[in-house]
This record gives sequence, C-alpha cells and structure tokens, in this order.
Amino acid sequence: MNEETEERVSELANLYPSRKSALMPALEIAQRKNNNFLSNEDIKEVAKIVGVPNSRAFGVTTYYTMYNTKPVGKYHLQVDTNIPGFLSGAYEIVEHLKKKLGIEVGGTTGDGLFTLSSVEDLGSCGTCPVVQVNDTYYENLTIEKVDELVESLKSGKMPEPDTFSNFGTECNILLKNRGISDATDITVYKKGGGYEALKKTFKMQPSEIVDMVKGSMIRGRGGAGFPAGVKWGFLPKDNSRPVYLICNADEGEPGTFKDRQIMQYDPHLMIEGIAISAYAIGAEKAFIYIRGEFRWIADILENAIRQAKKDGQLNHVDIVVHRGAGSYVCGEETALIESIEGKRGNPRVKPPFPANVGLYGSPTIVNNVETLSCVPFIVEKGVQEFKKIGTEGNFGPKLYGVSGHVNKPGVYEYPLGTSLKVILETAGGVKGNLKAVIVGGLSVPILKADEIGDLKMDYDSCAKAGTMLGSGGIMVINDTMSIPELALRTINFYAHECCGQCVPGREGSKTIKVLLGKLTSGEGTIENIDTILDTCDTIKGLTLCPTGDAFAMPIEAMVAKFRGEFEDLVKRG
Amino acid sequence: MGNKISLTIDGKKIEASSGQTILEIAKENGIHIPTLCYYPNTKPAGACRVCVVEIGTAGKLEASCCTPVSPGMVVQTNTEKVMNARRMVAELLWSSGNHNCLQCEKNGDCELQDLIYELGIEKPRFEIDLPGYEIEDTNSMIQRDLNKCILCGRCIRVCNEIQVHEVLDFSMRGSHTKVSPAFDADYIDSECVFCGACVDACPVGALTFKQARFKGRPWEMKKVRTTCPYCGVGCQMDLNVSDGKVVKVTTNMDYGKPNHGMLCSKGRFGMNFIDNSDRLKTPLIRMDGELKAASWEEAYGYIAEKFASIKEKDGPDSIAGLSSARCTNEENYLFQKFMRAVIGTNNIDHCARL
Ligand SMILES: Cc1cc2nc3c(=O)[nH]c(=O)nc-3n(C[C@H](O)[C@H](O)[C@H](O)COP(=O)(O)O)c2cc1C
Ligand code: SF4
Ligand code: SF4
Ligand code: SF4
Ligand code: SF4
Ligand code: FES
Repeated sequence: MNEETEERVSELANLYPSRKSALMPALEIAQRKNNNFLSNEDIKEVAKIVGVPNSRAFGVTTYYTMYNTKPVGKYHLQVDTNIPGFLSGAYEIVEHLKKKLGIEVGGTTGDGLFTLSSVEDLGSCGTCPVVQVNDTYYENLTIEKVDELVESLKSGKMPEPDTFSNFGTECNILLKNRGISDATDITVYKKGGGYEALKKTFKMQPSEIVDMVKGSMIRGRGGAGFPAGVKWGFLPKDNSRPVYLICNADEGEPGTFKDRQIMQYDPHLMIEGIAISAYAIGAEKAFIYIRGEFRWIADILENAIRQAKKDGQLNHVDIVVHRGAGSYVCGEETALIESIEGKRGNPRVKPPFPANVGLYGSPTIVNNVETLSCVPFIVEKGVQEFKKIGTEGNFGPKLYGVSGHVNKPGVYEYPLGTSLKVILETAGGVKGNLKAVIVGGLSVPILKADEIGDLKMDYDSCAKAGTMLGSGGIMVINDTMSIPELALRTINFYAHECCGQCVPGREGSKTIKVLLGKLTSGEGTIENIDTILDTCDTIKGLTLCPTGDAFAMPIEAMVAKFRGEFEDLVKRG
Repeated sequence: MGNKISLTIDGKKIEASSGQTILEIAKENGIHIPTLCYYPNTKPAGACRVCVVEIGTAGKLEASCCTPVSPGMVVQTNTEKVMNARRMVAELLWSSGNHNCLQCEKNGDCELQDLIYELGIEKPRFEIDLPGYEIEDTNSMIQRDLNKCILCGRCIRVCNEIQVHEVLDFSMRGSHTKVSPAFDADYIDSECVFCGACVDACPVGALTFKQARFKGRPWEMKKVRTTCPYCGVGCQMDLNVSDGKVVKVTTNMDYGKPNHGMLCSKGRFGMNFIDNSDRLKTPLIRMDGELKAASWEEAYGYIAEKFASIKEKDGPDSIAGLSSARCTNEENYLFQKFMRAVIGTNNIDHCARL
C-alpha cells in the first residue's frame, strides 16, 4: 500500500473518536486496491496503519462476508437466495448460472471473469430475484435478463440496472417524496417544506423535543417496538461523557427493504430526523450504520449530508456514515456499536445498556431509520397530529414491505393497525393459494392462512395473534412452498449469520440445521422433529443476544404449525 | 461498589455489595453455580450460558457471571428451567467436539467433563459431529487440539487482557468460529511468546502442556508451590510432580503478588534442566588444564585463597563482582555486602544491566 492510501485511511480515522474505528474502512480500501481481494499481507499492512494487532484485523476480516480472503473473479455474481429470493425463483437463477458458467457456487471461471456466490438477504426483497455484481444491484431479474447481464459483462460492460420497484402511500409522510424525482436534492426537499421542523427545533429546548417524542409514544420501527421517548429518557442525567446518536440503517432482517426507500429517495428526511434527534439528546456526533451492500445508497447519504452541511443545517452535529461489510447480526444495536469501534460484530452482554455505556463507553441512542424519519413530522405537526394516525398505543405511519407470492411486491405506507388483508390487496393480491404469512421479518413466528383473520398490523395486535410486527416485512407464501424447505433455508441463514460467541446460538443453530437437513432429505425420524421443538424451546431466552430467539421462534412455529408436513417426510423417507 | 444490597438466592437472604455479580456473591456464600467461560481477572464473556440462573417469577434466565446484583432480586440457581438450559448447553458442547476422554490429557481435570458428570448426562441427545481439525503439533511446548475447543474465549482474554501479547482472537463466525493467532497460523509461526497463560486458562483439553503428555494423570500429580528460580521477580508457581519428576508448571491466581498467576516462558517451560544429565552436581576445579570434581569445602577454600592473594598483590579494586538476576534480593544484598565489606571494593554489577 502506498502513502496515498495511508493518508486516505488517516483522513477516515479522523472522522472517529478512535483510530481503531478506521479498520473496516481501511480494509475496504485495501480490498479495492487489490482486485477485490485481501491477502494476508494487505491485512497486516492495514493492521499496522490503523494500529490494531494482526489477530484482531484477521478476526474482523474473516467475520464479515464482504471481505474476500480468497481471490474472486472480475465480476462477482452474488445471488440473494434468502426467503424472498427463494420464493421468487432465485435458486433457478443459481442453477442457470451454474450451468451457463460451468462452475459451482463458490467457484470462479477459468478465465477469472466470474465468481458465483449464493448470499444472504440483500435488502431487495420486493425486487427479487436480485444479483449483486460487485457493487451494483441487478433487481427484478428473470432467466432472460440474467443471460443479457452475463453477455454484457462478458463484453466488459456493466449494464444500467433496472431500478423499478412498487410503492404506495396512504399517509404521505415517510414516502411523500418517493415519487418525486430528484428529491435527494436539498433544494427539492426544502421546496416541499423540508428542514422546517429543524428550524422549529432550534427555537425550542432539547427537553421539549424529548417530551414531544415521548408524548407521541412512537415505538421503534427497527423490530422491537420499544418506545423511542422512553429509550431517550434512559440517558444518564449529569453526564460528562459525549452522547452519541446512531441511526440503524443495517436493514438486515430478511423480508425488510423499507429503510432504503427513505434513504435512496428521500435522504434529507432521515438526515433532518437525525439532526433534530441529535439536538434533543445532546449528541454532537451521530453515525449512520448502513449495510455495506448498499454502497450506492451510502454515497447518496454522504452527498446529502454534504449538501445539508453546506446549507447550514448541521452546525450542531457531525454525521458520519459507517458502512458495514456483510453481517446480519450487526443490525443488533450492541453488535453495531462493536462494528463502529472496528471490531467483530459480536453482541455485547447487557447490562450495561447502550443508553448508559454504548459507543466508546459513552451514552448512546440507537434508533432505526424509519423511527428517526418520523421525528420531523412529530415536531412540525405536533404530537396530536401524529397520534391521529394509527391505533391506541400504536401511533403513526408504518412502512410495510411486501414480498414473496404477491402480484405487486413493494413498500406501502399505511397507518399502524391497518388490516393485513388491505395491505395484501394493495400489493396486488396473493399469487396462487395463500398458505402462510410471515408478517414482521424472518425472525417472527409464521402465521397459517387460517390464522390471519382480520389481523391488524400493529405491535399489540400482532402480539395477540402470537406473532410480532417486527420490522413490518411481510413475506407471503403460497401452497407451492414446502414449509420444511422454508424452515431449512431459514435456519441456514441464522447458522450462517450467528456470531459464534454463545453456545446455544452457535451450536444450537447448527444442530437444528443438521436436523432439518436430515428431515428434508428423507433421513429424519419423528424423534428429530421433537428434538427440534425441544431445542427451540430451550434456546428461547437463553442466548447472549436476541438472535437466539430470532431463529428459535420462527423455526418452532414452522415445525409446530406444519408438523404434518415434517412427519410426511419421515413416512416417505 | 460498597453499597450494601440484599437479595435472595435459593430462598436464602443474602447481603451483597453493589457492583458484584450474582456468581461472585453466590460463591462467597457457598452456593455452587457451574461455569465454563468465566475466568477470574478477565472481562466476563457471558458466552457459554452454563451459569444461567432464574431471576424473579417471570422465569427470566440470566448469566450469573455477568449480571450484577440488584436490590430485592430473587435468584434461583437450580430450577427445572435452569437445569434444562444447562443440560442442553452441555450436550451441544459434547456433541460438537471430539470428547473422547480416553486419550485426553485433561481427563480428570476438565471443566466440561465435570459439568457433564454433575448434570448426570448419560449421552447427548444430538448426534456427535466432529469438527475435523488437525491437531497442531508444530512446537515442543503447547499442543493445540481445536477438536476439543469449546470456544469459551478464556485463552483470548488472558492473552489480550492480562498478558497483552494480543496473539489470539476469534476468527470466522457461526459454527466455523475458531480461536487462533492471526492468519490462522500455528503458534510457532505467530507472535506467541509461549508464556503458557492460555494453557492454564483452557478449561478443557484443547490447549495442553506438551512436555507433560503421558507423564502422569492429574490425580497422580502433586503440586508443589515454589518461587521461580529464573529471575528476581519471584513469580509464584506450582511444580507439578509426578513420580518424583517435575512434568509441568502451572500457576494459581490466588497466590497473588507478584505475578498473579502469570509466568514467562522460562518459568513455564524451562524446568527440564532439573533432570538434565549435563547438569553439574559438584563444583569443578581446573587443575593442569582439566576440570576435576571437588567438594564444596575444597572449592570455597580454593576461591578464598585465590582472592586473598590477588587482593594482596594488586589491591581490592583488581577484583570485580558480577551478580545474577536469578538471585533473590536478599542474595544480591549479601553479595554486594561481601564485595564491599570483605573484599573491599565497589566493583560490583549485575547481569540485568548487560
Ligand atoms: C439480530 C438482530 C438484527 C437486527 N437488525 C436490525 C436492523 O437491520 N435494523 C434495525 O433498525 N434494527 C435491527 N435490530 C434491532 C436493533 O437492535 C435495535 O433494537 C433498533 O435498531 C432500535 O431502533 P428502534 O428502537 O428505533 O427500533 C436487530 C436486532 C437483532 C437482534
Ligand atoms: S445468539 Fe449467540 S451466537 Fe448468535 S449472534 Fe447472539 S451472541 Fe452470537
Ligand atoms: S476436553 Fe474434557 S471432555 Fe473433552 S475429551 Fe478432554 S477430558 Fe474429555
Ligand atoms: S502462550 Fe502466551 S503469548 Fe502465546 S498465545 Fe498463549 S497466552 Fe498468548
Ligand atoms: S482453546 Fe481452550 S481456552 Fe481457548 S477458547 Fe478453546 S476451550 Fe476456551
Ligand atoms: S460462565 Fe457465565 S456465561 Fe459462561
């Protein structure tokens, strides 16, 4: 590596309170310089520049899937085969590419042109099948389009991607600019009333803003539904340490592709939300943790931040975009904090909670993109207006991402508490015969078609129905799908993503994967089915972080609710 | 720390200081909670989940090694839920490694074996799935068999937090997670200084002292506390003696100062000189160009006679004394006293300055 790289790394390091935080950006730079590959020498060099032990740099490199410790072809074709992809033909595309290129998954063509990989959820669930080629997403694919793509790449040309995706809004809050071209531009955003809420904010006391957020009773949109105002209230009083705000833009939960609608098409909405929230909690530094695969969206955000800065909107807070590098668990708030600190994304033991001891040991608030993007509305229009939307205790607008077996997969903005049926109708209705729905991202218990009734899509109603609203990522499954196959693909994901720290998480996910593999290949026994149920039951609440629950609950529900399908596999085998 | 807190563990009212963990206060009160990843003087990892206890009436499980006590807390250490959880963790570990105790150096001194025995598990409910790692046999001091590794991270923590050699870390993730030096290198090819702290920390047979292999079972071993003879720091250590021979050196954090259970590679692995056949057993005096065995009286007499004659001929400053870092402070004091008071010179120095 040359001096120029070293300088660039030092520049990046200056964005963080600790130089060690530059480890991930530095690895990315090194990888780009070396044809998308990190050799041991590269890793050593980076470790030296950043000032971390080699063992740590190696541990970090091998943790994140986007760092290639083996050389890859000029074009790295990464097919998302997670559930939404699985439901919409991703495996057919994998098979097609295998044949077409004459390589297995993980292989590279003899001419060094193509590497084929099957990867986990890319946050593109409504536009599946999707293939990520190096940094670019190719969405809405068919076999024919894949052929065209490969031919074009062979001639050395990355084609323009088709960025079409369905959307709709009833609330006109989070997606109000979704259909406006150039809303990423600050002048367009301001023309629509943008940054007025921030202006109003500066005329108020921080505590008044906190009170408004508390009063709105807005619940976190990242998955857990925890009231944001209550979380902010956990910040220690009389604190002399810096306070950090982190916007969670990891969007890793399979079935979830909502935050990118805001970031990609209306980035200033989120930035305004961050600016207001940072003012409210007294954070002079805020981080946006965005999944590494969303590279072009990170660029959009950085650009928008530059504009906002230039426009004088961000004099009170410095916003830094930190890119992940391929890890689902890094969406968990403490793993995310570790990742910003330049470490493996291993979740931390709680307590202490981040509000007290978070990033760099300081009080830290982590909120989801959608949560923070609601804040400008709350401040500008007031608590009462916000509470007019939704149902009691579940106020405000919500982005629902619908994927899988529907005619118009996409992201639709509705008030919390809207009926699932209505949302599915808006999404073009179910393709074929409805078998089941996963309503809140992959980590929530599945609902059988006959359990749906008139389910209202809000936190409390979903809980009452024995599932969770989660991220609002709705995956629709028709009767062509085998639930044991779905369960196997689900556990493969979690076993692949688990950080490996705790025994029930690491070995539990692997063991369930082995058992489901046996069952689906016809070698299982009835006893295996019971062992899975029993293991899931014991894992719940036992793991170091909530990821254990995130796989134990859905697997348990799939096996318990569709037990017959699993038993049939035993009888047949 | 300091504030008194009262809580209940297994129905017993207990006083604790705020800041203490449930595990610590339970230990103090003689209440047994099994552990695997817990290791004193390092940050609690909460990784194995063996130490879970039930808190309150809602059936919430928490790892006692990293959960601080709070006022009025009601803790139960052995409910059915707790036992189920521990059993599953033990069985998952058993089935994910090669735990054939027959050929294991740790047999009889292994925390996983103890746990499985304590829980009374006949066999794991899961099929055994051997990881298939090659046993690392490339150095003469530490044997690494990752097929027995339970990924408790104790070796990593002791290497990074106490020794600060920062050789080890986790690599990969999920069930492929490994502990290793950078680039998955063997110890001998890494920055490892062979202090052996990680071997002491390992609760199972993944890291063992190679020199001790097949030299004695743990229950045949007598531990003899001594001070390391190599330097003046005075590290405390246990010689593990089997069949009259020192087969390995282990440490004990409870011995406290000066080394708090840590050693360097000399104290740890440098004890085989004891039985070396080249070792001098009597003083030797060179006579007619040849070294001849002598008694201590003869040797001292010879030295005294030579010193006296040199001093008489060329004065006391023609003699200089060089002392050794391997002597104790008391011995060094005596030595300089001897040089100054008996020989009469200030020519005295110490090898640590060289
Ligand atoms: C395994 C795991 C993955 C998660 N992934 C995300 C994510 O991608 N985006 C997100 O906002 N929250 C995610 N969360 C939830 C965060 O930990 C955290 O609760 C959330 O960001 C808080 O923001 P909110 O209160 O605004 O929802 C995840 C949690 C877990 C356990
Ligand atoms: S459950 Fe355990 S292994 Fe899985 S991500 Fe959480 S801490 Fe890591
Ligand atoms: S590590 Fe323990 S349980 Fe495993 S083989 Fe050795 S003695 Fe047995
Ligand atoms: S022997 Fe010492 S330096 Fe080497 S890995 Fe173990 S603890 Fe670290
Ligand atoms: S080698 Fe030993 S101490 Fe290190 S993680 Fe494995 S079992 Fe734990
Ligand atoms: S000893 Fe507490 S989790 Fe391992």
